[in-house]
Amino acid sequence: MSETAMTKKADTQIEPTRQLRSIVPEVDILENESEILVNADLPGVTRENLTIHIDNGKLTLTGTRKLNVEGAVVWEEFGDVEYHRVFSVPQSIDTENISAELHDGVLQLHLGKTSAAKPKKIEIKTS
Amino acid sequence: MSTRWSEIDRMLKTINLLRTGIDGLSSDFDRSYRWNAGWAGEASTPKTNIYDLGGKFEVRAEVPGFSKEDLSVKVQGNYLELSGTRKTEPPQGYSIHRNERNTLSFTRSFTLPADIDAERVEAALQNGILRLSLAKSAAATPRQIPIG
Repeated sequence: MSETAMTKKADTQIEPTRQLRSIVPEVDILENESEILVNADLPGVTRENLTIHIDNGKLTLTGTRKLNVEGAVVWEEFGDVEYHRVFSVPQSIDTENISAELHDGVLQLHLGKTSAAKPKKIEIKTS
Repeated sequence: MSTRWSEIDRMLKTINLLRTGIDGLSSDFDRSYRWNAGWAGEASTPKTNIYDLGGKFEVRAEVPGFSKEDLSVKVQGNYLELSGTRKTEPPQGYSIHRNERNTLSFTRSFTLPADIDAERVEAALQNGILRLSLAKSAAATPRQIPIG
């Protein structure tokens, strides 16, 4: 490698590889006595392209969308993206008791509570 | 007098700088829906793409949570209208911690670059994306002309 080539290389910054845009999906978080329910809008994401991880009290949601566009663009407002969002999961959630469904581009995530976290009625004893 | 001109020049340069900043903001078209919506503002209508495939147009719109029954599509000449209503009411017995997804009721209309054949419009809904295939009317379809 010649000296000029080396200086040239130093001048250019590290080129980023082609990356998908990252979007934060909109969510609703609901809770009842037995579970926490998360609804997330993920239009265009298929079941195969969606991963949900739970590790060390963090729930990570990652989904990618590929549009496979044909023809010339007349008007464009959305494209290929990666949906990404991380939630903190409270200790009261039983990680073994989590289920997920995907319908019409909406993810429904059911996070079941541990039995210890469910409300209990305490009897009052009279002496 | 010359000092004044330089001041104006400096001001114009500042405006240009600001303008490039604004352009960058609006070209960041789907960075995030809520926190960095740019000029689009609150997402009150679904994001829509239109493609021209020569003989037909293809329209795609993001409609998560909408069922077939919630949407309606109207076509006339080169006019296209999409409308729909989605309900995101919480199920019974749940308390709300966070509510970002809004109850969306929208009507959006487009003027397409060419007339379409209302008889040859197909619509499909998959994974929360509405796909419309709109064939152009005979007059608007490109034709190969042989050179004689």
